[in-house]
Amino acid sequence: MYSLQLSPEQLEIRDTVRDFVTREIKPAALKAERLDIADRSLLLAQIDAASQLGLRTLALSEDHGGAGADALTACIVTEELAAGDADIAAVLSETSRLSHLLIDLTMNDAQRDAFLPKLLNGDRYHLAFAGHEIGSDLRLGVHYHRAPAAEAVVKTTATKTGGDYIINGVKDCVANAPLAGLFAVLVRIPGRAEPAVLLVPADAPGVSVKAHENAWPHGAYGSVTFKDCRVPAANLLGDDAVALLTGTSEAGRGNPIYQALNLGIGRAAYEAGLDYAHIRVQGGRPLIEHQAIGTKLAETIIKLEVARNAVWQAAWASDHPEAVADRSLSDLPLTTIAQVFVSEAVMKAAKDAAEIFGAMGVMRDMPLQKYIHDARVCLHANDGNSDAKLRIAEAIAGYRRAATSAMALAGE
Amino acid sequence: MDFTLSNEQRDWQMKARKFADDEIRPISLARDAIRTARETWDWDVIKKGSKLGFRTMAVPKEWGGHGTDFVTQALVMAELAKADSAMSKAFSQNWKWSHLISQVCTEEQKKRFLPGFLADDGWVLGKGITEPSAGSDNRMPIEDPKSGIKLRAERKGDEWILNGEKAFIANAPIGKLFFIDARTDSTVAPKQGTTLFLVPSDTPGFRIGKVFNKSGWRFYQNGEMIFENARVPHANVVGEIGGASKKTGGAGGDTTGGDLFGDLELASNALGICDDACETALRYAKSATQGGEPLFAQQNVQLQINRMFMLTEALRSFVMRVAWEHDMKIHSARAGLAMNYSCDVVNEVAELYMEVRGAEGCRMDHHADKLIRDAFIWNHLAGDSVSRMKIARRLTVGH
Repeated sequence: MYSLQLSPEQLEIRDTVRDFVTREIKPAALKAERLDIADRSLLLAQIDAASQLGLRTLALSEDHGGAGADALTACIVTEELAAGDADIAAVLSETSRLSHLLIDLTMNDAQRDAFLPKLLNGDRYHLAFAGHEIGSDLRLGVHYHRAPAAEAVVKTTATKTGGDYIINGVKDCVANAPLAGLFAVLVRIPGRAEPAVLLVPADAPGVSVKAHENAWPHGAYGSVTFKDCRVPAANLLGDDAVALLTGTSEAGRGNPIYQALNLGIGRAAYEAGLDYAHIRVQGGRPLIEHQAIGTKLAETIIKLEVARNAVWQAAWASDHPEAVADRSLSDLPLTTIAQVFVSEAVMKAAKDAAEIFGAMGVMRDMPLQKYIHDARVCLHANDGNSDAKLRIAEAIAGYRRAATSAMALAGE
Repeated sequence: MDFTLSNEQRDWQMKARKFADDEIRPISLARDAIRTARETWDWDVIKKGSKLGFRTMAVPKEWGGHGTDFVTQALVMAELAKADSAMSKAFSQNWKWSHLISQVCTEEQKKRFLPGFLADDGWVLGKGITEPSAGSDNRMPIEDPKSGIKLRAERKGDEWILNGEKAFIANAPIGKLFFIDARTDSTVAPKQGTTLFLVPSDTPGFRIGKVFNKSGWRFYQNGEMIFENARVPHANVVGEIGGASKKTGGAGGDTTGGDLFGDLELASNALGICDDACETALRYAKSATQGGEPLFAQQNVQLQINRMFMLTEALRSFVMRVAWEHDMKIHSARAGLAMNYSCDVVNEVAELYMEVRGAEGCRMDHHADKLIRDAFIWNHLAGDSVSRMKIARRLTVGH
């Protein structure tokens, strides 16, 4: 039954994380030098502290030592973290997401024995999926409502030599690369039609990571070069790993974790605007008592409340496929719908909140310009909203893409 | 209706376009990327532009300036802003206050300050109004004597002693001469108790504090002004004691050159950003490809570009009409409406430009990011609710 009644556990974890963000993240994130968007250095001590709360392995099953959080819980946590710092939220949610996908869903027992202890024992052991390569362009765009789909470029090769694979290639724009202890690497194996995923420890010989300075998306990004990198053949993941990791799997409707992050940015902007509207006196009374400002804040909270409903509904659908099956929820791409609505709502919220601050709203040592930048990053994430609308349009048009993998190979 | 430009107007436009192409655009992104706010300014480009007349073009001919009309000024601001909005503003800020000098200063004051301003390529002007606790209160003043400007000026013989501070003041860190609004009577409403002073940068007791680190308009310098027993001669009082608002509109009147120009200035400058965004977006959409086709082949991209150009051309019509009306001495709330409208247009056009470009991998184009940050400056200067209500109130008084 579709219900957004949160469980006692969900309420408790929200309070815990909100308190953690207030005490540990905000004091560091709101420092003037950190608010300059030219300085995107990660708050590592805070990420480590969040790991100790279990947030790095939030989605990992309890059987494997994680918190076993479902999509809704992960969204609640991510919104709270992002209200403090979007980069922290991005790093933790990526490792958490991958811990579930890799450890719970794709690794075999031997692989789990090899990598799970490292994940559980290292607060700074993060996970990364090295999929993207320069030249890959997965936008729908001109492919709208016609075949073929865009194809990912996978030029990185893994050549079997005895009991090992030798990997050569370069991955670009890899989330969590600078922090990763373990990479799941999308590779082409000569002689095989479909790509595959290999587990590569960051300290394997032949792996080098170069962090992208001031990458556009939130979190930590980098390029990863594999030069005659040798890993045991036992590190090959099963065939379903590709679809799970690249998001082309039919299973699940997508997890709106990134939209929850986006929402957290909007909430931070709104709360800053609301606080300031209470203290700042112009025209003889606090700003909030002026009709124009009161209305602006009302419009903002309307958008944020509806945005949260969109995120939670998509999360619920992800957690409860039966709610879609029995027609409690629509079978539309709810995460993509949330992406468009939330990103536009938060963009407007951030700009309106900044306006309340007057000139302070554009100062680099003040939070509002940072929230605007953060909101804009989300607005142009995931190939942007024009592309998202095309994906929704294909869904409502009933256009069915061929079931073959979108990961056809290039370079052969 | 005749939209033809005169030869003189066309010459200024072409001269501005060439200067923008040759000197401004090549350094724009590098200046924007400098992280320390105090270091973004470049005297070289200012002095080169000054030699071509872009610093002094609003000074009347009888004082040795170029005496350009408002249409010319609007054209030049848009051309310069098309290469860098903040650099355009750095030039036009001087026009704003040279308008004020020629309109409200005495002959004696003009003689003391205008020749120096005209002769020195490194002489820029500013005006200090805003204070940490007086922003909106200056633009929409209320009767409460405790509201508004706190900077005090007290008469001592032939001098006035100024104490207090100003914030966010344009050109403060590099200016040579400033108009300063100060309270000369704190027992009456700010509108009646504020006096305008001319304050040279070397005034004893006057200094510049921090330089504000803005997200947009990074080239343009905004600073703190600190007055600690600053001594200003009585001869530097502009107009009457308590008459600042009548002279400049700084405290609410809207009757003089300074404000007329200010509305047109922001609208014209926005037009330059829009022209830059439109042209670059179109060029990009024709050259960049997706799935083997030019981006421009896509309906959504055509619609985005259509909207960018449509809004920009509507803004151009509005800007040129207002400029022409100013030259015809037809003054109305339309100038303010054009300024408010420019805020909506410049934001939407810059956002659309970024949408056309999109992120490539995990990088966003610096130029698109800069235009969008520059455009957001309008939201607190030209399009916030105070500036819109202020214009609405002008409509009620019929001018």
